[in-house]
Amino acid sequence: MEYVASLFSVALIASAIRVTMPILLASLGAVYTERGGVVNIGLEGIMIMGTFFGAVGAYLFDAQFPQLAQGWPDLAPLAGVLTAMAAGLLFGLIHALVTVTFRVDQIISGVALNLLAGGLARFLNILLFERATQSPGVRGFTPIDIPLLRDVPALRPLVTGVSPMIVVGLLLVIASQWVLTRTRFGLRLRAVGEYPLAADTLGVNVYRLRYAGVLLSGALAGMAGAYLAIEQAHLYFEGMTQGRGFIALAAMIFGNWWPAGALGASALFGYFDALSLRVVRLPVPYQFISVLPHIVTILVLAGFVRRARMPAADGVPYTKEEE
Amino acid sequence: MKGRLLLLQVATPVLAIFFGMLIASVMILAIGRNPIDVYAVMVRFSLTRTDSLFSILFKTTPLIFAGLAVAMSFRASLFNIGVEGQYYIGAFCAALVGFGLRGLPAVVHLPLALLAAAGGGMVWALVPIALKLRRGAHEVITTIMMNYIASALLLYLINDVFRDPTQIGTPRVRTPVVAPAARVPSMGPLLAPLGLHGSDVEKLNLLLPLGIAVAVVLAYFLSRTRFGYEVRAVAFNPLAAEAAGIPNARVQFGMFMLSAGIAGLVGLNDILGFFGYLDIDFPKGLGFLGISVALLAKNNPLGVIPAALLFGFLDRGAAGVQFFARVPKEIIVILQAIIILAIVVAYELLTRYVRTQRKREAELVVTATPAAETAGS
Repeated sequence: MEYVASLFSVALIASAIRVTMPILLASLGAVYTERGGVVNIGLEGIMIMGTFFGAVGAYLFDAQFPQLAQGWPDLAPLAGVLTAMAAGLLFGLIHALVTVTFRVDQIISGVALNLLAGGLARFLNILLFERATQSPGVRGFTPIDIPLLRDVPALRPLVTGVSPMIVVGLLLVIASQWVLTRTRFGLRLRAVGEYPLAADTLGVNVYRLRYAGVLLSGALAGMAGAYLAIEQAHLYFEGMTQGRGFIALAAMIFGNWWPAGALGASALFGYFDALSLRVVRLPVPYQFISVLPHIVTILVLAGFVRRARMPAADGVPYTKEEE
Repeated sequence: MKGRLLLLQVATPVLAIFFGMLIASVMILAIGRNPIDVYAVMVRFSLTRTDSLFSILFKTTPLIFAGLAVAMSFRASLFNIGVEGQYYIGAFCAALVGFGLRGLPAVVHLPLALLAAAGGGMVWALVPIALKLRRGAHEVITTIMMNYIASALLLYLINDVFRDPTQIGTPRVRTPVVAPAARVPSMGPLLAPLGLHGSDVEKLNLLLPLGIAVAVVLAYFLSRTRFGYEVRAVAFNPLAAEAAGIPNARVQFGMFMLSAGIAGLVGLNDILGFFGYLDIDFPKGLGFLGISVALLAKNNPLGVIPAALLFGFLDRGAAGVQFFARVPKEIIVILQAIIILAIVVAYELLTRYVRTQRKREAELVVTATPAAETAGS
């Protein structure tokens, strides 16, 4: 009975919300890139870059501008997030160049990006901090209370002292849902992912929109990494993403390529992730709890939970006719 | 055209490697070192010392298996990113057979350990391939997830179940030592008459010739046998192959199992060839290197051998660069990643070039033929 109660404790749910965020942000990115028709397995690597550059940005801002950082304590973490997003954009640009312009296999490009990220993080970490696997500690954003909701007693533990990035992440879900269903950009992006030839015939620039989708995925996965390093661990260490970039892809599939769906799926993964992080008293060895999110990912992909429909031209390079 | 095409096919990977070196040079310059000096150190350290040469061959051995494993899945239009996890499980199964059984003669025990390793790799690949063929779950993500699960399972098995009881109380977490009959014999005694001695020579074991033999057999199998023909048919045009009575699913399943079986052998160079036990810190990441090797070799089994040698050389060179030029050895990982990207882009550009050339030649033939006919009549 004790086990069961611990599975639904408020502390566990609060923790689940926190660990949902990096998966959610990366899976929002995955939605944009795949809606445009480009598969980005490199999200994991981009997230690694996000964790590293997030910590580096926050640390260096603190070190370089101590007075500013003293006066506005949120500036350093903000610098970290922006640095991470810039690094993510750069990696996204590489992926777009290789897969959209050169039309190389998207999986291979993603695998190379993951390899590159691992090597680059170690290399730069040695240069900056004279050790391979860990950055110095960094400060996170000042926690906030969510107005209105904090006055509801039952919700109090969940909505007080939360990271502002959680609020931003949830707003991004709403914004993305609106972008994909209501804006010209979103509709064109989806057209390019479903039927690029038709979109091209109507004068939509297929390549430019695919670039946009991939770049957005880079920025969002970078932000996801920054959240892990700045808000969750307060430092960068090697291997901290633990495959969350891949899990985010599964969350996007489970969410049926929609931002709102990705939120639900990410929350599911977040819950299992929280289970593996927190000391839940279960009669199972720790190593098995730690792979729960990975097992759930496999089940989700196998469609045991739900069958999904992907964009028709997802993963297929587009060649303009005259070539 | 034919001769030039061959030349281009050889030049393409070379150009890609140069491009990778160029980008790495920029990074070396950025940290205030001279790239030419760094590359010189790398070449001198790796190629002018006997111990380095044998160390390269030792490093090459698992990369041949890993490259072949990945290449076999690629040949069937499947991505086995799970070579990493499959060799963890294979290595464990081999160790288990190695220390679990006693008193067997080497001619039985060693093949048994090899079979256990291949079988372990195959079992680990069953879930992803079954889900791929039955439920359409993309094998890239499922195999990656299986890698994480393999890693956790191995940790549990080594730490909690099969930990060497004599090591408890020490920081060493490893399995018991395998029986001598299950160890892969060293090539040292064969090389000693040639005047080659030293610990790096002794490290080299019979898995290297085995790896080369497997590559040769696979090359024959893919180009000369019926199943090899079916594999090529499915990869070239799955619909036509299916229509011609070649079941895609069976071919893909067979090739994935072949891939995973070879993957199971990747870890043995270290486990049965060198350490003699499975340590919690055994060499990892070889499966991912296998992807690079296979891409460089363009999935050609014989091409895997020079590709693995190149990565063996880079690995040894990295150690030299770190020690003598004080450049972090991770520069080599970056170099590898850029080589992969450069090589796939280069092959793509080559294919496009060949296509336009063929088109032009065909147009020439079309315009030339009627003229010849009129001249003849």
